[in-house]
Amino acid sequence: MQFGVFTVGDVTQDPTTGRVPTDAERVKAMVTIALKAEEVGLDVFALGEHHNPPFVPSSPTTMLGWIAAKTSRLQLSTATTLITTNDPVKIAEDYAMLQHLADGRVDLMMGRGNTGPVYPWFGQDIRNGIALAVENYALLRRLWREDVVDWEGKFRTPLQGFTATPRPLDGVPPFVWHGSIRSPEIAEQAAYYGDGFFANHIFWPKEHTQRMIGLYRQRFEHYGHGGADQAIVGLGGQVFMRKNSQDAKREFRPYFDNAPVYGHGPSMEDFTAQTPLTVGSPQEVIDRTLSFREYVGDYQRQLFLLDHAGLPLKTVLEQLDILGEEVVPVLRKEFAVGRPAHVPDAPTHASLKAAQTEKVDA
Amino acid sequence: MKRLVVIAAGLSQPSSTRLLADRLAAAAAREIGTGTEVRVVELRDHAHDITDHLLTGFPAPELKDVLDAVAAADGVIAVSPIFNASYSGLFKSFFDVLGDDVLTDKPVLLGATGGTARHSLALEHALRPMFTYLHAVVAPTSVFAATEDWAGGGDATLHRRIDRAGRELADLVGRRESPVVADPFALTTTFDALLSGQGRAVTNDLRL
Repeated sequence: MQFGVFTVGDVTQDPTTGRVPTDAERVKAMVTIALKAEEVGLDVFALGEHHNPPFVPSSPTTMLGWIAAKTSRLQLSTATTLITTNDPVKIAEDYAMLQHLADGRVDLMMGRGNTGPVYPWFGQDIRNGIALAVENYALLRRLWREDVVDWEGKFRTPLQGFTATPRPLDGVPPFVWHGSIRSPEIAEQAAYYGDGFFANHIFWPKEHTQRMIGLYRQRFEHYGHGGADQAIVGLGGQVFMRKNSQDAKREFRPYFDNAPVYGHGPSMEDFTAQTPLTVGSPQEVIDRTLSFREYVGDYQRQLFLLDHAGLPLKTVLEQLDILGEEVVPVLRKEFAVGRPAHVPDAPTHASLKAAQTEKVDA
Repeated sequence: MKRLVVIAAGLSQPSSTRLLADRLAAAAAREIGTGTEVRVVELRDHAHDITDHLLTGFPAPELKDVLDAVAAADGVIAVSPIFNASYSGLFKSFFDVLGDDVLTDKPVLLGATGGTARHSLALEHALRPMFTYLHAVVAPTSVFAATEDWAGGGDATLHRRIDRAGRELADLVGRRESPVVADPFALTTTFDALLSGQGRAVTNDLRL
């Protein structure tokens, strides 16, 4: 099982000091977090994509390319890549390039984006969100898998004799996850292709995750990719830890109370009960995280959100230390207990390449 | 068995809004028949959850229970105090967090309270258009009660209007099957239909 962090790259005032980081500080903080993730033994760093303030990561492959050069083991991913407003041709090329530079340590998570005004800036309409996700992704798959593509669709200029370049590393396209909170069509899309499905699993009740994963697993089996318990599932999670539970709550509360998305609303205690947020000791985070398996089954990837709501970089790096030293080693051990042998790991470039070779040999 | 959910947005306790809501519910239940299940919800009890839902996008468990009850109801009685010539903010917020299509074809009886009868037409120019927008089937008679209507020895107009409104709601409820609540997580299309552009091509449902 893979463990890692994902970030949306928000630029948020630290409510305890009133300080707002500059874009430069936030960008550098994000890559520092990525390097730290590898240093403390995590497997994955996933980066959001936004084209509107107060978020900075508009150019994910630039940032991931930099991180790739500075790391050797870390899997680089996205959370999410906007399959609706990006040109699928550009996604195909950018991420194939990144694959080569990162020696295959690349996968992507597709998402639609929920900010209405962003769509027209890229010539699209949010009301076409599902249709864009379906058409653009179908084209993206062909661009990675076919050397010469003739294509015509609803949302972009037709392609005649087009070759996306560079070609994917070893002829193996990056593995793709599809992320959605509550659109069954996207679970269906992931199942149809035998791709992974990622439930963001933060800010929303666990019932959303449970229903979406249940549907995805059932449809994955329906489409003949394997048993329902062999579908490739990823989850998010949101934690804040200190040695003593009360210290964690005291320190995180001002960030919680003023956070974008849920701040000035429910109490931290209510939100902890209603969503997967866990604020407490490392042991409490371990117990809560292990409980996810009870409602989604054995899964492949767990990503944590650590660096939002104005938390200073120093605090985030301390969180990464706790995660890497005290939490993830226990999670690795405990998640392995009782995990059936036929439940696969998350696909990597190496495993996909091996599977492709096997197919050719057969 | 028919189920009525009564939404009362009064803020004081006891409130005349609740009093009117109870009278409307009793009149409607009497007309619908014995065994009618009536659930009265005072929005004051859920005020924080309603605000939280506006901010987080999902209901806390107790509020979810209320929203589910409204969705499953055969009829709804909605009663608001009139503030500044319209429904109260809490009343509006509750219907703002009720899911899309929940009130479509659902019989609804409207009531309102205020200090004087000068506010009575707020029912017709504020409440009724909102429920029409939500595709509810609104009973023709809506009931306004002013402070003087509760005075002993007044004329029987309020009483008669309550009875008539109750009959109208009962009639609308009686002509309909109980609602089947849609599962938002159910897959209603196939991927082949999506690929060919026939499934949910354009939607105003902007959930992620």
